[in-house]
Amino acid sequence: MAELKNLKKLYDMVYSCSGIGDCRRAFKLSAGRYGVCPVLDHSPAFDPYYARGKVRIAKGLLERKVAPSEPLARAMYQCTTCGSCKSICHQSACEYIQLPTSLFLDHMKVFEAMRADLVEAGVAPMPRHREILEWTKKEHNPYMEKHEDRIKWLPKGKTLPRKAKVVFFMGCTEPYRQPELCQAFLSIMEAAHQNFATLHPQEWCCGSVFLRTGMWDLAEELAKHNLETLKNSGAKEVVTHCAGCYRTLKLDYPELLGELPFEVVNTIEVVRDLINDGKLKFKKTELRVTYHDPCHLGRHAGVYDAPREVIKAIPGVELVEMRRIKDASWCCGAGGGVKSAFPDLAVEIAKDRISEAEETGAECLLSTCPFCARNLKDAAQATESKIRVYDILELLQKQLK
Amino acid sequence: MSRVYRALEDAVGPEHVSDQDFVLYSYSRGMDGALPEKRPDFVVNPGTTEEVAEVVRIANRYKIPIVPRGGGCCLMGGSKPIEIGGIVMDLTRMHKILGIDENTLTVTVEAGITWAELNTKLNEMGYYTGNLGPGSGMSAVVGGGLSHHSVGGGGGAKYGTCTEQCVALEVVLPNGDTVSTGSNASVYTKEPFCRFGFGPDLTALFLGDNGIMGIKTKATLNIYPKPEYHEGKTFTVEEPSPENATKMWLGWRKRGDLGIYDSQFLPQIMVEGMTGKLTGITVVKPWEEIEKAIFWYTMEADTPEQLEANVKIVDKIVKENGGEALGPEIKDGNIAKWHYEEQGHWQNWHALWGGLGPGSIPCSTEHHVPIHRFPYIYHKLDEWGHVHGEELTEAVAIPGVSTAILCGRTTVEVDSGIVVWDKPELREVNRKLWISQIQFLIKEGAMPYMVGEVASRALIDTGAFTGTYYEFLKSVKDALDPNNILSPGKFYL
Repeated sequence: MAELKNLKKLYDMVYSCSGIGDCRRAFKLSAGRYGVCPVLDHSPAFDPYYARGKVRIAKGLLERKVAPSEPLARAMYQCTTCGSCKSICHQSACEYIQLPTSLFLDHMKVFEAMRADLVEAGVAPMPRHREILEWTKKEHNPYMEKHEDRIKWLPKGKTLPRKAKVVFFMGCTEPYRQPELCQAFLSIMEAAHQNFATLHPQEWCCGSVFLRTGMWDLAEELAKHNLETLKNSGAKEVVTHCAGCYRTLKLDYPELLGELPFEVVNTIEVVRDLINDGKLKFKKTELRVTYHDPCHLGRHAGVYDAPREVIKAIPGVELVEMRRIKDASWCCGAGGGVKSAFPDLAVEIAKDRISEAEETGAECLLSTCPFCARNLKDAAQATESKIRVYDILELLQKQLK
Repeated sequence: MSRVYRALEDAVGPEHVSDQDFVLYSYSRGMDGALPEKRPDFVVNPGTTEEVAEVVRIANRYKIPIVPRGGGCCLMGGSKPIEIGGIVMDLTRMHKILGIDENTLTVTVEAGITWAELNTKLNEMGYYTGNLGPGSGMSAVVGGGLSHHSVGGGGGAKYGTCTEQCVALEVVLPNGDTVSTGSNASVYTKEPFCRFGFGPDLTALFLGDNGIMGIKTKATLNIYPKPEYHEGKTFTVEEPSPENATKMWLGWRKRGDLGIYDSQFLPQIMVEGMTGKLTGITVVKPWEEIEKAIFWYTMEADTPEQLEANVKIVDKIVKENGGEALGPEIKDGNIAKWHYEEQGHWQNWHALWGGLGPGSIPCSTEHHVPIHRFPYIYHKLDEWGHVHGEELTEAVAIPGVSTAILCGRTTVEVDSGIVVWDKPELREVNRKLWISQIQFLIKEGAMPYMVGEVASRALIDTGAFTGTYYEFLKSVKDALDPNNILSPGKFYL
């Protein structure tokens, strides 16, 4: 019999779901809300494939009416943990009227706890997640790469200090899969005459993928290591570009390990401040762009304006918004372990977003998360879309004066 | 793999049939906090009318019951099996808008579309469906609303129940045949435009039927241009507030059509519940200082002059009956503005249900009464609460009227029931109290409209139907569904 120790801790939260099911396909014109669950239309579409059904399964597990099983786990892992369900559940669109039942329910917490319990019950995670776990234990990254290669992006002859007030937490996706983004950040910081350090070789995976997929032991180990290293570096400000790292460092680390002795900021916030201080100037370009809010940065951490301010700071760039933005933004499909365990599902969801971006008439779809950008690029390629997908940093680097 | 499973796979495709225990479990409950879970044997979610019809034919072949299900929001146990086994048919994959006809002012949709998705599209074109379905319209679907005579999601005072807006249906009958009703009954009509004609109104047979007469796969509804002007005001009400609210509603109705779109009364106990006085959890912050009942209306008009004139008449009647206006903005407590402008009509139910805090959930006994009977029913419910005081204490449940909503010309929807805690150990005691209250109300002349399992059976248990009416209902059901395939057990059929 599964112990379900994590779900039990969230008992009141689980039972605060009244089961109305707005999390399936709510539309709310006054809040720019057009649908909720990105997975639903690419799944068998039964209740357990969106939030209400998942919470009901949690009740069933707690009441011992449903047994943990591999098919159940497979359904529970088909969720990007984008938080759109939580967002619509909490949404009164009005600061004066609050909807109390829903405010007690943090869907992502429930889903992640359920995944952790399913892992303990031996029916999860997904096979690919297990491979990633084993590799990360050895090499501290989930990309099956050698740990020492994390710094390969740094141009030959360049060195970065190990200690400084500002530490760049590189993450895994950029150095191993999109090194051009690390290089772009370096160029931007150099153009603004800003110094920063890296933790390498002491930087390990932030642990996001393991928190999201229920492999909490390793997540905690990684978090403890990184926090200790960051403390030793003397960092006052930890900058990260990966939206997943940002959410994990900023929101999960304090929850796991207590208050942090440094501030966690996103690269895009740093760039915004440098622009406002007059330290960065950009060349003019005629470009119509649209912007995709990464869930980890936007819905989870509330960073909506900084990327838009940065985009608008490039002369000649016109920002046209998609139908679903900010709080109601549509997930790219990659998060929550979906890209690794269900790559086809991830791309199918991203195709929806590409199509939405195309509707704006934009030439370019920008994001500020390497994981989103990668999945959106895969979808653009799969659909032979003419829209070009870039990270904002790439565009900024290109337009640097 | 069973022969039935294989047949269902052939009908809807392997991805859209399941007998996995966790899938079955997730369809074993409705939204209530009391009915026991009853798992089906299979869940299917067909994507076309033809697939629906084929599943029904399979069910007939193997004599397996089917419970059709929309958004799964029924508060009366209508969208789950009454007994273990059978097929639950989830229709939410069928959510396309098939056509918006600006000449006949109708919209034709697949029945699994939500009221909110449909009205979002219509709103962008300057239209709406008038009655916006149930209060759960962001989740509830058109087919479910039409099966329940739904109201509460907005527009009830102006347009009545959603079934009054239905022009035509496509229905899969219990034998697997598909029929079209209304003007679509003729092969010569060019488009759906009118419900009444060609003899008896057979569309009505499937409206409010709670899924016992057929499975609605398509629906044509009237659409209306959304008026350009609107007003929304909220008032406190002097005691005796149910009597005063009733006088306001009757006063308006006796003046004719004043463009009232919606109107709702919330008793003082509800206001206290929504401002943290019962549990410390505040729903409507601007009401924190209010120690009275609340009453609000929204009104529509085509011109500013018409709006101004009607507001004057309506406000005068409110004032004469103990109403005092709050300020015009939401921050002033004007919940009417939130309802109309921020689509609060599809959300206030969350607030009401959550008023007692996380885990509170309704066992609803909502029903219709004529406007003038509202105070009587209101006070009778108080009496019921006193009589069942000990049991309610045991269940940690709170009875009463949460709201009353003007619905149609001379009817009020009374949202009564008991608020209970969604705890497995409390479900049986909650169920008994729930059934007791609905039976009590029926005997006092209330008319449940969303009947599901609980109210449909209470109608029979209380002997509400005359013998001839019940025999007539049974004979219609027997003629349509000789194998009793669709939703068996409702009305004890």
